[in-house]
This record gives sequence, structure tokens and C-alpha cells, in this order.
Amino acid sequence: MNGYRRSYIRCIRSAWMTAGIGAFIVAMIAAGRTSVGQDGATPRERELIAVLRSDSPAADKAITCKWLAIHGSRDAVPDLARLLADEQLASWARIALEAIPGPESDEALRQAIPSLNGRLLVGVINSLGVRRGAGSTAALAARLGDADPDVASSAAAALGKIGTADAAAALKPLLATAPDGVRSAVAEGCVLCAERFLSDGNAADAIALYDQVRGADVHRARILDATRGAILARKQDGIPMLVELLSSEDKGLFQIALVTAREIPGGALDKALAAALPKIDPDRGALVIHAMADRKGTVELSAIIEAAKGGAPPVRRAAAKALGRVGDAAAVPTLLEMAVDADPAIQETARVALAELPDPEIDQALVGRLAASKGPTFLLLIDLIGRRRIAATDALIPVLENRDASIRAAALRALGETVRAKDLNVLIGQVVSPKHADDAAAARLALKTAAVRMPDPDSSATEIARAMKGAPIDVQSELLEILGAMGGSAALDALATAARGSNPQLQDVSTRLLGEWMTADAAPVLLDLVKTAPGEKYQVRAMRGYIRIARQFVIPDADRAAMCRSALAASRQTAERKLVLEVLRRYPTTEMLKIAVDAMDDGELKDEATQAALVIAQKLGAEAPEVRDLLAKARIERVKLEIIKAEYGSGSTYRDVTDIVRRHAGDLPLIVLASANYNKEFGGDPTPGVAKQLKIRYQMQGKAGEAAFGENALIVLPVPK
Amino acid sequence: MSKKMTGLHRRSFLKTTLATGAAVAVPAIIPASALGRNGAVAPSDRIIVGGIGIGNRGTYDLGCFLEQTDVQFAAVADVKEARRTAVKKMVDERYNSQGCAMYRDFRELLDRSDIDAVLIATGPNWHATAATYAARAGKDIYCEKPCTKNIAQSLSLAETIRRTGRIFQAGTQRRNLPHFAFACELARTGRLGKLQKVFAHPAGMQAMMSGWLPAQPDPDPNLVDWDMYLGPAAWRPFNAKLLDGFNFEKGGGLVGGGVLEWGSHCVDLCQWAVGDCPPPVEYNPPQDGRMVATYENGVQLILRETEWIPLGSCPVRFEGETGWVEAGDSGKMVLSSPELLAGRTVEEIGGYPATFHVRDFLDCVKSRSQPKGNAHAAAMAHIACHSANIALHLNRKVTLDLTKYEFVGDDEANRLRSEALREPWRL
Repeated sequence: MNGYRRSYIRCIRSAWMTAGIGAFIVAMIAAGRTSVGQDGATPRERELIAVLRSDSPAADKAITCKWLAIHGSRDAVPDLARLLADEQLASWARIALEAIPGPESDEALRQAIPSLNGRLLVGVINSLGVRRGAGSTAALAARLGDADPDVASSAAAALGKIGTADAAAALKPLLATAPDGVRSAVAEGCVLCAERFLSDGNAADAIALYDQVRGADVHRARILDATRGAILARKQDGIPMLVELLSSEDKGLFQIALVTAREIPGGALDKALAAALPKIDPDRGALVIHAMADRKGTVELSAIIEAAKGGAPPVRRAAAKALGRVGDAAAVPTLLEMAVDADPAIQETARVALAELPDPEIDQALVGRLAASKGPTFLLLIDLIGRRRIAATDALIPVLENRDASIRAAALRALGETVRAKDLNVLIGQVVSPKHADDAAAARLALKTAAVRMPDPDSSATEIARAMKGAPIDVQSELLEILGAMGGSAALDALATAARGSNPQLQDVSTRLLGEWMTADAAPVLLDLVKTAPGEKYQVRAMRGYIRIARQFVIPDADRAAMCRSALAASRQTAERKLVLEVLRRYPTTEMLKIAVDAMDDGELKDEATQAALVIAQKLGAEAPEVRDLLAKARIERVKLEIIKAEYGSGSTYRDVTDIVRRHAGDLPLIVLASANYNKEFGGDPTPGVAKQLKIRYQMQGKAGEAAFGENALIVLPVPK
Repeated sequence: MSKKMTGLHRRSFLKTTLATGAAVAVPAIIPASALGRNGAVAPSDRIIVGGIGIGNRGTYDLGCFLEQTDVQFAAVADVKEARRTAVKKMVDERYNSQGCAMYRDFRELLDRSDIDAVLIATGPNWHATAATYAARAGKDIYCEKPCTKNIAQSLSLAETIRRTGRIFQAGTQRRNLPHFAFACELARTGRLGKLQKVFAHPAGMQAMMSGWLPAQPDPDPNLVDWDMYLGPAAWRPFNAKLLDGFNFEKGGGLVGGGVLEWGSHCVDLCQWAVGDCPPPVEYNPPQDGRMVATYENGVQLILRETEWIPLGSCPVRFEGETGWVEAGDSGKMVLSSPELLAGRTVEEIGGYPATFHVRDFLDCVKSRSQPKGNAHAAAMAHIACHSANIALHLNRKVTLDLTKYEFVGDDEANRLRSEALREPWRL
């Protein structure tokens, strides 16, 4: 056994949901290529075949089969075929045999049939089905009469996958004669053959086969499959059959008709569905309307409008919903009537439909109706102007004077959805000095709705900020909230001004909003507030917001490092500086390592900064010259480290994880695992629900050491004394 | 401060009217005749659902099903007794009955003619196979992701669902969350300008492997049915460490892992953003922490682990010639310009609840329309993930022929498109 084979088998034995194994496998492929270079793949394949011929454990042979699925050729087939009778390895061997191209695999599988029975035989037959070799038809047909119904069924399905006329010929007679446990698999095979006939352009034979299955005493699901196929294969001639099934007492047949109704192209079916609709039970009619609306290219809209006008309630609801998806201006009068219907369900469905109707031509028609309408229709039209986002500010502004508060609120909602930048002042005015006190909440919501979608946020934010001057403090607070939702540099300036101001309520709101700011341009503002904000509470809030940007946002490495230095310099709390160390660890660069090393001079941070430096160094590679220099400066020496024993668990239950820990140990006193979660790294939780420890015995610089770490702790091994 | 730091635009979203965690989806399609006097759905019009393999994630999904008034959860199948009994307890307490049946072998559950639909939340080793058996039994399927282990399974499952006329919803619940839907719509409808790049976040660009661990004594099959647990995976002796269904044989062993695990969400959203078109044709191995794949029309799919705006897990980003949008699991999104909202209010629902996705599935079970995470869409997204993993595994560029779903001139890549199922299982 050469080194290549030994090493990959070692790998496979230890492989257990191993992150990073892909890289290893790639490396092994590359290694294999290198070793075989001039001879092509054959030497590698020979290596793999040798494993199958050896007395290697079954586990090694199993994974070898998987490799042969990629790299094997006909040369590997005989050795793989020998495993088909092996209960442990047959499934692995078939992975390779199914994948290796060429007639040798088919032949080997066929030759195995006489010597096998039960599940192993079923497996071989299934593989022949997957390979779809027409040369296997006779061998499979011979098993259709097998006494084992599982064998006969798998043969029937495999023949279906082959799908030739010969396969169909073998199957058809058995639709009537096969035992109960096999007949449905025969029907499945027949349907598969019919599908193949149809895709090959042989509709006549497909129809005959579908019809034969439909008439057979087989599983109901196969009747449904065949019915669908029979309709589709007949194309336009299948429409009457489909329509007839819409009234079938069999729910399954009705459902299959609905499915198939989405698959037949052309307008003839739409006309047939329209004609059939009035005659169908209302609950079913509603579902037919859904199917009609799914046929967007050819839908019979007039039939759906008629159903909306005069159908039974379920039909009307379905029709209204359908019109929302596929309707046009012709549907508007009907939907407007339905939108004030006494039936709340019809009313709401029609309102949603009116809001969603795709035809833009109806917008002005709706606005035109506003002046002449009253009562519920007036309210409805205002609501629709908002929902459809129709630019109708001139028509809506007078409504703000209406005596009815609910109508004013609707107008504000609509303005919030529709107002343009030039009219934003209308809503600002409603917020700052509402004519009716009970309009205030609706006005604020409307302004926020409008403000966040303004095309020039800075201009609009400036307008809102200007309105703050002289307004009551509560109103100013509300306007700050709106500015916070808008974003942009003008809003940022306004919030910064409020934060530096003298009013505590405005300071509180603005610093909170700045701490949640979604773009990195808030960083300088926050850093300034760390130093200048009136009161420690706001300074801490600003610092946390500043660190959040450094931790979470997409910014260049140099900027992030500069922010970390600034944060360490400006922070007055140890907890905050520890948060900065987390940022350093998260973005390991040489500059971040420098900052960590410098932070080691801070007595309160020494341990955490040392850990951060180690983690960064480990990620950067401790052998890099600049990293080595920095570690030397920090008096962190590279060490000779040997892991003697590592165990993970609790009480009397400990799992040996020595190999895993060893893999991650290097020449630093730090061990960074692939996963920060010990359970994940060490193959599961050895003692669920109990606090666990990782215990490590080691030699460092020739001295024995021992350390224990709480669950998921960073592993920094103390230097033994 | 660099230009990059200041160039980002503010998130543009409004607070939702639907509070996170309190969101409840209501049935869109209930026949009038199905409503009893108290508004409850009549038993005869409920969708009868069974569960297959209900562990941690499945228990969450189950909760989403149980809160639907038109669902009757009738049975659970699980290879582990502890889970069977836990699910039965949960269901029976919900209905104040003893009616939830338990099975060790899911085929017995599928044999029940009264069950309309199944929730499949086994480990990914079983997903495609169990879904195929369910479709063959005439059941509609809500299947957790990743739904398939390889390209061949992806194609086979979609074809089986089509042939049998079943409704299939992959557990890609982000397709039914407003901000992700809006972001995808912006990309799909050209409002970002001509689409250039779609970005997805993989959960580590590494393969995972379940291996063959030292044999331990076989457990009592009534407690843990090891043979059924292995299911379509190649045989190996019992070892308790392998009972973690979440990771077991994800992607089939040599290929799979992070790109598939997280990609079946993030890449899936990218696929939605490009209109659920066929997957990229060219896949490059990782370079500088990025994998780049290219669609037939030149749009790039970029898998990267860093450089994301902090919007929570599962972030995606779509860049067009004139604008971009980024969204994540916080429920928030960031737009290159607030004008992209075009006045719309996009509900902010964080925490990626599956309630709406389950509701979408149930509505489609009734209407027979296609749900958002339908089989075709799922197949395209999964094939993109599998192809990326093959490029990752082989550490070389691979090119996918979209007519045959074969890799061009790469025999090794082609052999990684499928893997034999252990006997007696077949697709």
C-alpha cells in the first residue's frame, strides 16, 4: 500500500461530518494526479482495485467503491461485481457500477441476477433501470414473473425507465394478470413507457398505453397519472375529457383535471372552461376560476367578469381574486360594486383586486370618480388611490378638510403612499401643526411612509429638519424618528445636531437612532459624541454604536483598523475595549495584530489582548516575518508543543479527542479549532445537558503541562513552569 | 473614511403592520360549504396531513401546519420511537384526542388512502426518495430542504411530480416573505436595470462526509430502526454519531455541504430573481473566498461568505445596471435608491417564519396551482448548488449543458451527477 492510499484511507476512517474534508479530498485528487501523471488514470485505478482485492476492512473497500465511481473504468467492473452478493458492500459497489460508463457494467449487473435474490437482487435490477440499457430488457422481463413481488415490481419499474416498445410489450399483458402486489408497479412502468413514447412523438402508442392503464385494476394514483397523460397526449382532443372530469364524483380525477388544465396550450381550453363554468358546483367552480386565471396568455376574461357578477358567493370571491391578477379596465365597474358588497369577504377580495389590477389605464378613471362619489364609495376610492399609488395630491388635499376623521385619516394614508417631493411640505405641515389634533398619529405615519421613498433623501431631510425649529419637543422627537428611518447625510447631520444639543429628550432619541445607523458614515459623528456628548449615558451609547460599525459593516481594512485604534484610545470602559479586541480577532490583519500587541500594555486588557494577538497570529500564519516580529515584540515565543492527551466531557464520561486537538496544534500556545463549538468539533455532545470540560495534557518546550477549558472556551495553553 | 463606507444607502422599509412572531396566515381558499356554523372547517373539507421524519425542524414545520384550521394532522412516521411519541403527544394535545397514528415505516403511512398530503422533514438523505414514494402514492408534498442529494435526483423528483400531477413545495420558506419576494421582483422585472450579478451566501464552501464509523451494537429497531434510517444511503454499521439526520449524507458524501445546505435557500432566491430560469452553465472553483457561476445570458451568480451588509442570516444581493437591493433574515432590505420602492410598503417580517409558505402550499393543494417553491423551481436551484459543489470538489471549472444536464467534456463531473440508492429503494 503506497502513501497515497494509506493516507486517504486514514482520512476516510476518521471522517465524520468533517468541515474541511473537501479540501483534503481535492488535495488527494491532486496527489493522485501527480503520482499517475504520465500514465493517465490507470495506476490510480489499479491502486483502488488493489484495495478491493486486499483484506482491507469493509470500511476501506466501501469508500474505495465511491472513488471508483469517479475514477473507475471497465477494468474495475469485475472486482466491483464480486461485491454485489456482499450484504455490506453491495450498495457501495453499485454506486460505482451505476456510474462507470460502457457495456461492461450492464453486463456485470445482468450476470449477477441469477445468483442473487431478495433485496440484493432488487438493488441490481434498480441499477439496470437507472442505466436504461435497452440490452437489459430481456433480463428484466424475465423477472416480471418472479415469485418475490419486490423483485417483480422493481423489474417492472426498471422496464418503464428503459421505455422502449419492447419494454412496453413485456409490461402490457401483466396489467391484467400480475399479482396484486405487482400490478401497480407494472402500471408505473407502463406510464413511464407512455411518457417516453409521447416525448418521442409517438402519441398514438402513448394514448393506447395510457388508456390501458386507466382501465386496469391498479392503484388509484396510477389511474390519475394515466388520466393526465391521456388528456395531454390527445392535445385539443383531450379537452372534452378534461371538462367531463371537472364534474367527476372522484375528487382525485377532478384535481388531476385542474392540474392538467394548466398544461394544455391554446385558447380552445379557455373557451371550454368558460362554457362549463356555470354548470359546475360552486365550490368546484371557484377552483376552476383559479385554473382559468393561471392561463394568463389565453384567459377568457369576460367569463370571469360574468362569474363575479352573478355567481354563487364562492365563485364571486374566486372571480374577484382572479380579476385582481388578470383583469383589465373592463372589470372595474363590477369590482367597484363588489367592493361595497354586503358580504365582507366579497368586499375585501374586491378591494384587494382593485388595488392589484395590473392595467394602469384605470388609475385616472378611479380619480375621476372621486368628485362625484360619496359615502362608502368615496372612502373606497381614497383608499384605492393610496393602495394603487396614484399621483392625485390635488384631489386629496381638499379632503384633509373633511369633517369626518376617518375620511381625513384615509386621505393622509393615501398621501403618504403617493405624495411627491414637491408636496412633502403638505404632510410636514400636518405633523407640525395639524388642524385636527386627532389627525396627528395618521399624519406622522403618512410623513414617514412618504419620507423614506423620496428620490432625494438629503433634500427632503433638510426640509424636515428645518421644520423642527420652533416645533414642540414631542413633535421634534417624532421628526427625528422619521429622519432616522430616512438615512442620508442630511438626516445624519440633523441627528448629530440634536445629540449635541441641550434638550435631554432629543439627545436620547438622536443618540439611540445614531447607535442603530445603517451606514458607516455615522462613525465620525459617533466618535465625536463619545468625547462631546453631554452625559456618560450618551457617550457609552455612542461608543457602542461606533464599535458596532467597526464590527459589522463592510469597510476597508485600513479604515476598520483606524476605527479600532480610535475606539481603544477614546474608550473609558474596559468592557468596551474588550469589544474592540473582538473586532480585532474577527478581522485578522497585520495592522490588527499590531493594535492587539499594543493593547497588551494596558494592564486591564493584557490577557484578552494576548489571546487576540495569538488568534490573529494563528490565522495569519505565525511564520510570516512581520507576524514573527510582532510576536517577538510582544514576547510571545513560538513553542515546541506536543499534545499528549485531550479529552472532552464531564463526570465519568469523557471522549478522547486527542487526534482532533493535535490536528489543530501548531507552534503557538494557542489552539484554534475549525469550529468554535466544541460539540460540533468533537463529534457531538458527550453528556447532553451537563457542563463539559476540555482537558489537555501536553508538553511545551519539553515541560509537562495540563489545562482544562470550559465549554467552547478559547484554548490558550499556559507555559508550564 | 472611504467612499465605500459612505456610499451605502439607508434601508428603505416601513414597519410592518404584522408583528413578527404574531403573523398568522389565513386560508385563501375554503369552500363556503366547508365552513361550519362557528367558522371552523368541516372535517370533510380538511386537508389530511401525515408527517415523515419529524425532528427539530420538522417540529417547527408541524407547528405551522397545526395552526391552520383546515388541516387535520393524522399520522406520523419516524424511525425513532422517541420522535414518534413526541409528535403524537404534540398533535393529540392540539386536537385533544388520541387520533395521531404512529408508524416506523413511512410506506405504511403512504398506504393510507385518507391522507392527502405529507410533511417530509427527515434528514436530507431521505428527502428525494421519500418525496418520490409519496408522489407515487398520490400524496401532495411539503418537503424540507435540501430536497435532493445530486443532479439526477433533482431532475427525477421534478419529473415525478410533473408526471403524477402532485403539488410539491420545497421548504424554501423565504419565497413567501415579503421583503425577499420584493427584492426578487425588482431583479426579475428589470427595475434594477439589466441584471448583472446575483449574490448568495453559502454556509461554508466545504464538502461534508458522513463516513463509516466503528460499529456499535445495533439498537432495538423499535427504538431506532437503523435500516430505515440509512434508507437510500449505502450500508454502514450502526454508530450513534451518525444519527444526526441533519447532516447525514447531505449531498451524498463526497459532494455536498455548505453550498447545498444554505444554497438551497440563498441560491434558490437568486434563481427566483432570475425568473427560475435554468441554472448557471459555467461554475468556477472558489477564488479569494468567492465562487462565480455564470448563467447562459451572462448574469453572474456569486457565492461569497463575507462583504454582506448586516441584515441577518441568509443574505442575498441583486445588482443591475441601474440599481441594487440586498435583503436578509432580519426582514429588512437595503435599496440603492428609495425610488425602487415606487411608493410600495413592504412588510418587514424577520425570523424567516414558514407559516406563509405552509399556507401557500395548502392553498395550492386545493387549487392545484403551483406554489412558490414548486418542484421545477426547486430542481433548478438545487442543480445550481450541486453543480457548484462539483466544481468545488473537483477544484476546476465545469460547464453544464442545459439540454442534457451533463457537464461538457468532463467525465468525472458527470459521474458525480448521481449516486446509486441502496436496495430496495428506487426513484
